[in-house]
Amino acid sequence: MRRGLTTPRSVKGIAVVLAGLLAAVTGCGGDDGESGGKVELTVDVFGEFGYDQLYKQYEAAHPNIKIKQRKVDTLDNYKPRLQQWIATGSGAGDVVALEEGILPLYMQQSGKFVNLLDHGAASMQSGFLPWKWQMGMSPDGKQLIGLGTDIGPLGMCYRKDLFKKAGLPTERDAVSKLWPTWDGYYETGQKFQGKVSGTKWLDGPTAVFRTTVLQNAGSGPGYSFFDKSDNLVFDTNPAIKTAFDTALKFEAAKMTSDMSIFTPPWQTALKRDTFATIPCPSWMLGGIEEFSAGFGKGKWDVATVPGGSGYWGGSWLAVPKQSKHAKEAADLAKFLTNPQGQVAAYKDKNVFPSSPQAAQDPAVAGNTSAYFGEAPVGKIFGDMAAQVKPVYLGPKNEDVRSAVENILIAVGQGKVKPEEAWAKAVEAARKAAR
Amino acid sequence: MSVDLRPARDGGPPKAAEPQAPRRSWRSRLARFDLKASPYLFISPFYLVFLVFGAFPLVYTLWVSLHDWGLASGTREWVGLDNYSYLIGDEDFWHAVVNTVGIFFLATVPQLLLALFVANALNRRMRSPTLFRIGMVAPLITSTAAVAIVFTQLFDRDYGFVNWGLDLVGIGAIDWQASRGWSWVAISAMVNWRWIGYNALIYLAAMQAIPKDLYEAAALDGASRIRQFWQITVPMLRPTIIFTVIISTIGGLQLFTEPVLFSVGTPNRMDGGPVHQFQTVTMYMFDNAFGHDRYGYGATVAWALFLLIIVFSLLNFLFVRRTGGVK
Amino acid sequence: MTTRLRGLWDASPLTYLTLIVALALSVFPIYWMIVVATRTNDVVSDVPPPVLPGGKLGENVSRLFGTEDVYFAKGLINSFIASGAVTISTVFFASLAGFAFAKLRFRGKNALLLTVIATMMIPVQMGIVPLYMIMVELGWQNSLQAVIVPFLVTGFGVFMMRQYADQAVPDELIEAARVDGCSTFGIYWRVVLPALRPAAGVLGLFTFMQTWNEFMWPLAVLTPDNPTVQLSINNLANAYFKDYTLMFAGTTIAILPLLVVFVVFGRQIIGGIMEGAIKA
Repeated sequence: MRRGLTTPRSVKGIAVVLAGLLAAVTGCGGDDGESGGKVELTVDVFGEFGYDQLYKQYEAAHPNIKIKQRKVDTLDNYKPRLQQWIATGSGAGDVVALEEGILPLYMQQSGKFVNLLDHGAASMQSGFLPWKWQMGMSPDGKQLIGLGTDIGPLGMCYRKDLFKKAGLPTERDAVSKLWPTWDGYYETGQKFQGKVSGTKWLDGPTAVFRTTVLQNAGSGPGYSFFDKSDNLVFDTNPAIKTAFDTALKFEAAKMTSDMSIFTPPWQTALKRDTFATIPCPSWMLGGIEEFSAGFGKGKWDVATVPGGSGYWGGSWLAVPKQSKHAKEAADLAKFLTNPQGQVAAYKDKNVFPSSPQAAQDPAVAGNTSAYFGEAPVGKIFGDMAAQVKPVYLGPKNEDVRSAVENILIAVGQGKVKPEEAWAKAVEAARKAAR
Repeated sequence: MSVDLRPARDGGPPKAAEPQAPRRSWRSRLARFDLKASPYLFISPFYLVFLVFGAFPLVYTLWVSLHDWGLASGTREWVGLDNYSYLIGDEDFWHAVVNTVGIFFLATVPQLLLALFVANALNRRMRSPTLFRIGMVAPLITSTAAVAIVFTQLFDRDYGFVNWGLDLVGIGAIDWQASRGWSWVAISAMVNWRWIGYNALIYLAAMQAIPKDLYEAAALDGASRIRQFWQITVPMLRPTIIFTVIISTIGGLQLFTEPVLFSVGTPNRMDGGPVHQFQTVTMYMFDNAFGHDRYGYGATVAWALFLLIIVFSLLNFLFVRRTGGVK
Repeated sequence: MTTRLRGLWDASPLTYLTLIVALALSVFPIYWMIVVATRTNDVVSDVPPPVLPGGKLGENVSRLFGTEDVYFAKGLINSFIASGAVTISTVFFASLAGFAFAKLRFRGKNALLLTVIATMMIPVQMGIVPLYMIMVELGWQNSLQAVIVPFLVTGFGVFMMRQYADQAVPDELIEAARVDGCSTFGIYWRVVLPALRPAAGVLGLFTFMQTWNEFMWPLAVLTPDNPTVQLSINNLANAYFKDYTLMFAGTTIAILPLLVVFVVFGRQIIGGIMEGAIKA
C-alpha cells in the first residue's frame, strides 16, 4: 500500500531544471529555523491549547530555545495545510497537534513522524489515561507518534432563566436528575417546548449525535463507524443505530434549532433565546462563554449529561521527521504534555487534562466556573473523565460522521423524510467511507 | 486623420521622424529579423512563466489522477483510469455539475448585462466620475472575511435583512440555505454583486475607444440613446464582450469562494449544504482532495472540470459570435 | 458644434439615479465594515446591526499594530512590494504579448492564443500542492518571490489586452509607424501602449487588487511571521472566536492603499473619456 513515499526522482528533476531558470535570475532565500545561535522551535496548533505561559516558562529554563507558535483558527483550516506539509516533506512545525479525528489518518504513515519512545517518552506512560496513551501508539505498538494533550468529558449546558420560565427546576443537581437517560431528556424537552414558545429544546442534531455515538460505542463494542480492522460497520453496529435514532427523534419532533456547533448561525443563536440546552464537552464551555458573552451572563449552568459517561474530542502532540531539531522538539512536547503542563494548560484555557494526576490536581478538580453560575466544572468533568471508556475511530471516521450529520440536518430542514433518514444515512456513510 | 473613423488618441502616431535614407543591406535584414522574431519575443515571457509554474502543476495533476493517492494517509497506488470510470457514474459529481451550471446561468447573464448598462451610464460626462468608478469596484476591495459576515447576515433564515424585507411585503421568510433553487439565487446575488462593477470597468475602458463621431452621426440622424447603445456600442465592443463571456465562463464554472462563504449551516463548509444543494464542482474537488484525503480523485475531478470549461467556453464563444453579429 | 451634440455625453438625471443606487448597493458592505471597525466586538451579531460609526477606531487601530504575532506593518510592506512588482510586470508583459497576438503576424498564432486561454481554465485550488513542491525545490517557501514570480504575467492579462488592442488600435496607425521606420518594439512603446492606456489602467488596477487580496496561495507558502497583509488579518483569527473589530480595522487600513492605487490607475481610465469628449 505504501510504496514510493517520496516524490519520484524524475518529477523532482524536471521541477528543478525548470525552476532553476528563474532561480538564477532572482536568487533565493531560505530559513532553517536558526536565529542568533538559538534553536527556534515552531509549534503548529489549531484553536486553543493554552500553552502561552508554558512557552515562556520553557524558554526561561532553556535559554538556547526560542518557541514560535502558529495558530490556525479551526481544524478545518488546519487540515489542508498539515497535509501539504507532511506530503511534501517541508513546512511543518517541529511540534504539530493531531486531533482525534485526524490521528488515525496519520497513523497510516507513521514513518513521517519521530518515534517519541526514542526520546525517552516511555517513562511518561503513567502520567496519562491508559487509553489516551495507547491511541498515540502505532498499531504494532512499537512507535509512539503522539503524546496526549486534552480530552473532552461530556456535560449538559442549560439556560437557567429559560428553565425557570418553563417551570422546570433550575439547580444543577435537580436538573441532572431530570435526565438520567436520553428518554428523560426528551420528555423534559417536551414539557419545556409546551411552555416556552419560540425557543427550541436543543441546538441541533450534531452535538447530540456525536455525544450519543461516543457514549454508546464506549459502553458497547469500543468502536463506532469502523471496527478495529477499519471495516465500515455503520449499519450493523447497534451503537450507531441507537445513537442515530436518538438524534433523529429530536429532529422529527422539531425540538432542535437545526444548527451545527460553531457555525455562524449557532454563534449568533447563543446571543438569543434560540435554544435552551447543548450537550457540551468541557472545551465547549470557553466557546459558549465567548459567544454568549454579556447576553448569557448569569443564565448558563452545567449539569451532567444523560446516558452515562462519554468524551468527545481531544488531541495529541507529534514531531514530524522533517523537523531539523527533533530532539529539542520531542523534549518540548514532553514538557507540554506532562501532568504539570496539562494543569497549566487547563488553568489557561480550560482544556481538560488527559492525565489523571493532572485531573486530581486541586487547580483542576477544585475549579469552578464563574460564568456558569459557579458550577464545579472541575468535579463534574473530572467525574466523567474517570469513567470514560475509549472508542476506536477509523481513518475515515470524520468523513462518515459529517456525511451522516448532513442527513440529520436535512431532516430538520424538511429535505429528507424521517422514515427515509436511516437508509439515506447508510448510503451516505458508504460513500464517505470509500 | 480627422476624417478617419478611428480618431487618433493621445500620443498617436509619432511625429514622423526625419525620413531615413533606406540602407538596404543590414538595415533591411535587421528589419526582417525584427518582423519575424519580435512576436515570439513579446509572448515569450508569458510562456516562460507558464511553463515553470503552470504546466508542471497541470501535468502533475494528471499524473495524480491516475493514482489512488492520499496526502494524509500517504497512500499512493497506480490505478490507471479507475478514477475516471468512477467519475462517470458518480452521482455526487454530476449533481455538483448541475449546481455549478445552474448557478453559472443565474449569475453570469444578469452580471454581464447589468455591467454593460452600468458601463454605459459611467461613460457619460458627469460630476465626480472618480467617486462613481471607485464605488463600482468597491466589492472587489473588500476582504473575503467581510463579505462572508455581511452575506451571512443578509441571508440569515431567522434574522436576515432579506427575510425581514420579504416578511414586510408579505411574502414571508425563505430558508435560503435549505432550498436548492433559493440557495442558487442567494449565491448568484453574491456573485453578481461582486463582479458587476469589475466587468463594467472592463467595458468602460473599451467604450472609450469607440469613436465619438459615430454617435454624433447617429444622433444627427435622430437615433435614440437606446438605439445608439444597441446599434453602435454593443457591436463595437464585440472583442471585449467575447473576452468577458469567456472569463465569466471560466470563473463561473470554477465558482468556489462565494458558495463556500455562503455555506454556514453544515459542519463541513465544502459540502454546500446538507444534501449538497449548492455544492459546486470546485468544492467537490477540494473536499475530495483535502477534506476526505482522496487527492487522486480530486485531481480527476479537476481534469474533468478543465474539460468541462473548455467545452463551455467554446459553446459560449460560438453563441456570442452568432448572436453578436448585428448588422 | 450644436448644443444638442454637446449634451450628447452629459449624464441624464436617470443615469445619476441608476448610478447612485448601484453605488449604494456596492459600497454598503465597506461602509458596514468601517462601522464595525469603529466599535466593540459584541455589536457584530446585534439585531438590528449598528448603522452608525462608533468612537473606537483609534483604539482598535493601535491595538492592531500593537498585537504581537500579527506583524501588521510587515504585512503591509510585503503586500506593497508584491502587488507593485506583479502589477508593473503584468501590465508590461501582458500588453506586449496582447499587442503581438492582436496585431502582428506570426506562425502558430491562433494555436498559441488558445493555449493562453486554456491556462486560465486550470482550477487553481488543485495547483497548490505541485506549486508548493516547486517552491520547496527552489527554497522559496516563506520568501516573498514565491508570491511574485509565478504571477509576473497571467493568461488573463494577455487575453484581455489582446481583445482590447484588437478593437482599439487601428491597423493604419501601426502601418504608418512602420513606414516611419519604427521597430516593432518602437511601435509598441510609442503607438500601442498609449492607445491601450484605459485598458492597461483597468488591468493594473485589477492586478494590484487581486494580488493584494490574494489569500489561498500566500497562506500555503508563507509563514505567519512573514505575511502579506491578508495573512496578517488572518493572524488575528482566534480559536473559536474571531475578533471582528480588529479584523475589520485591519481590512479598513488594508483598503487605503487600494484607494491610492485606484486614483493612480483610475486617471488612465478617466483620462481617456475626458479627452475623447473634448475632442468630440
